[in-house]
Amino acid sequence: MATPEAKRRNTAEYAYFGALAVLTAVVGLAVYAWFKQTTVGHVLTGLDDATPWGLYIVGFVFFVGASAGSTVIGLMIHAFGREDYAKLGTRAIFVGFLSLAAAMTNIAVDVGSIPRMIQLPWVYHNPTSMFFYTSITYYIFAGILLGELYYAVKLTKGTASGRDRKIAKWLSIAAVPFALAILHAPHGALFAVVKAREFWNNPLLPPHFAVVALVSGTAIMILLAVATNKWGKTEIASPKTLSHMGGLLAFFLVVAAFMDLFDFLVFTYSDNPTGASAWDVIWGPQLGFSIVHVAGYVLAIGILLFKRSDVRWLTAASLLVIAGVAAYRYNLVTIGFAQPLLPFQEHVQYWPSRYEISMALGIVALIVLSYLILVRVIPMEETGKARWDAGKLLGREEKPGAGEPELQA
Amino acid sequence: MPRYGMVIDLDRCMGCRACMEACKIENATTEGHFWMNVFRYEEGEYPDVHVGFLPRPCQHCENAPCVKVCPVQARHQQDDGLVLTDFKRCIGCRYCEVACPYGVNYFAFAEPEDSYYLDWSDPALESVTGGAQPPYRNPDLDVRHGPDGRLVAGDGHYGGVMTKCTFCVQRLEKDLDPACVANCPVDVFTFGDLDDPESEVSRKLASTRTFRLKEELNTRPKVFYVGTPPGEDTRELEPVSKGRE
Repeated sequence: MATPEAKRRNTAEYAYFGALAVLTAVVGLAVYAWFKQTTVGHVLTGLDDATPWGLYIVGFVFFVGASAGSTVIGLMIHAFGREDYAKLGTRAIFVGFLSLAAAMTNIAVDVGSIPRMIQLPWVYHNPTSMFFYTSITYYIFAGILLGELYYAVKLTKGTASGRDRKIAKWLSIAAVPFALAILHAPHGALFAVVKAREFWNNPLLPPHFAVVALVSGTAIMILLAVATNKWGKTEIASPKTLSHMGGLLAFFLVVAAFMDLFDFLVFTYSDNPTGASAWDVIWGPQLGFSIVHVAGYVLAIGILLFKRSDVRWLTAASLLVIAGVAAYRYNLVTIGFAQPLLPFQEHVQYWPSRYEISMALGIVALIVLSYLILVRVIPMEETGKARWDAGKLLGREEKPGAGEPELQA
Repeated sequence: MPRYGMVIDLDRCMGCRACMEACKIENATTEGHFWMNVFRYEEGEYPDVHVGFLPRPCQHCENAPCVKVCPVQARHQQDDGLVLTDFKRCIGCRYCEVACPYGVNYFAFAEPEDSYYLDWSDPALESVTGGAQPPYRNPDLDVRHGPDGRLVAGDGHYGGVMTKCTFCVQRLEKDLDPACVANCPVDVFTFGDLDDPESEVSRKLASTRTFRLKEELNTRPKVFYVGTPPGEDTRELEPVSKGRE
């Protein structure tokens, strides 16, 4: 007769394979949608010449932000010496890499020609283009993340040398300014340099992007830690660590909300045609997104300030934050086109087509699926020896017999 | 090397859209692509209403934002000032379309064979076409042009690329005016070399007060307008189909 523990494990296994099946079906639908779009054309999307960027670009900026924001965990471990974050380290790098892959996939389905796109920046390049510049940063950041992952796995397996530990530490520290200042802030600049679209043409947009990246990256890592604690084999973040992450999220979120507030204020106060057009859309056809953005931020700040020690409330706040950031990104990208270019033209409201929605969901499903499969292949859980390594990494006292497994997992 | 520019006299334009038709035929532009677009608009309130027309080709800006943002230099500017797209290099990211303040770009949302107004090969349409052959396509569009020998002329090459007015680069190489200029019945357009003080376009610029669209953006368009610019409270009349509706 099966023990309660065995029963729980069996149920978890069924749930795991059930989730894989559902995610595979969503990915399959997206592959079909992509095949149709590739053969018929972007005519199947809701895009047109008045709104040339839509849901794919929203997904692109969201995931680049999430990728950049996930580096905050490495910062906590290596720059602030928070050993309690160490078990999240490998997962954070992995999430960063998968998020970057999701961002690239969004771009790939958005452009008109994938074979030509992958020649950027190797064959064709334009130094005055922000897109050319960001295309270089993807490869460098992917290299940093893969390097981090390589050394993190070595640390996790307990096979890292002293030199490996140093490299892992400095890669993790270097990843943070690179991700925020060199990778993600220029994505804000991608929009901010477009003087034809006054809604975006704002020097504060790049730093705003960097702050929102920290918000979404931290919220995703909280959800991941909570889910792994619940369904994984070991606890990877203690309640105290989770509460600390909630505090971090609250701080980042308050800064992002502060910037949003003054964006709204300036546009409303100036009452110029662009501000008026944006206002009409924000509180008109896209009111639902605006409510999710504003209410998501406000409720999450309230929860994080007063209830972050409770895991259920913390989870709810993180979900609200992710929904709020997604809604913010959606409004930001699409409302850039709200003001017609010539005075006599009228705004045409963009809505994503079912093909775009299928592919956007499919990309999310693909990275969750990849995570669920690879997390069983790549060692994420630390062995006892690796725990010791983590201590050494953080400058703790070196024990004799280095390299020998002395603690059992 | 000439530096091409255009003067458009709004006071002469009667909104017949013959220039649009000429552009479509010359450049084989697909459904919904109006490289030359004549906007018809009205302003004021009854009984004091003014109807105006604004022909809008690509402005071929000297400081072209589309050229700056294109990540692969598919959108480029020739020494003669023409701003063109290399269809063999364009990745279809639409950043040029996002960056252009004049809305002159048209993305090929579908493959060319599915993009024309009439599918001549469709058997169901035989009663309409009478089994006729597909219409003539200008052979000059499918050869390379310019000093670098790039595929830049005309529309209907590939799906997923960005297209726009070329000032009829294929005609300029034969010392012909762009199709819109050649076909206007009331001489709205004056076209020529801006660097030649004796050219008709230079003389017109020297003798007439002109304005350029959105001059405050410092894009320095090479299309100049004579007449009154449309005001902020104008309303569009009879917009052309976007082809996506």
